[in-house]
Amino acid sequence: MNPGRMASAMSADGDNEGMDQPRATAEDVRPWDRAVVTYPLFALIALVGGLFPSFGLTANLLVIGIGGTMFWLGISGRAGRRAAPQGVPRGAAWWLLPVLLFASTELFAFSKHSIEDYPTLSLLADPFLEHYTAKAASYFVWLVAFWGLVRR
Amino acid sequence: MSKAIIITLFSLAGIAFLVLAYLSRREPSRVPSLGSMSAFVMEYRVGKVPVGRIAVLGFWWWAGWHFFAR
Repeated sequence: MNPGRMASAMSADGDNEGMDQPRATAEDVRPWDRAVVTYPLFALIALVGGLFPSFGLTANLLVIGIGGTMFWLGISGRAGRRAAPQGVPRGAAWWLLPVLLFASTELFAFSKHSIEDYPTLSLLADPFLEHYTAKAASYFVWLVAFWGLVRR
Repeated sequence: MSKAIIITLFSLAGIAFLVLAYLSRREPSRVPSLGSMSAFVMEYRVGKVPVGRIAVLGFWWWAGWHFFAR
């Protein structure tokens, strides 16, 4: 949703009640900012990205270029944003469970410095990502999630 | 043995993540959506600097580079 339009919508009633997670209306969506446009584009990037081997120059350039563009769009707000919840969302502590479990496991494995006995997630994922289909699919998920974050 | 424990812990974290994502989509839900949580964290600012936004977007950028380019 256009930030300006969002601001005017929020101020019209003097508060943001009911605006916790507004959906963009058809008139707010830019022509290029539709799933029918962005998803095929992400799929194309993922199909190309899956071809490049790790540690290669092309793989680095693609991730840095795409990630840099997404990062810039997210910081500048040019892709539009949805209104954020006011205050801590109720029940937010539930999300600490997987986050802390993952983080503590990763840190513990990393601190052991033993690739064989205590592998980190990236080490476990390496054999999986050596397959083109898995890597391209993971690339696509990364891009879709990145796009979701950019517009938050 | 230790490798199996590490894999189990990562799997449990992943399962917990998926279960919470599912529960957050039910109506009514006591669990906020992952999108709401992301938006809340990304709203954090220090002065005029959008620290939360930089941290979340930067982390996701780094994660992509870490898994796909190295």
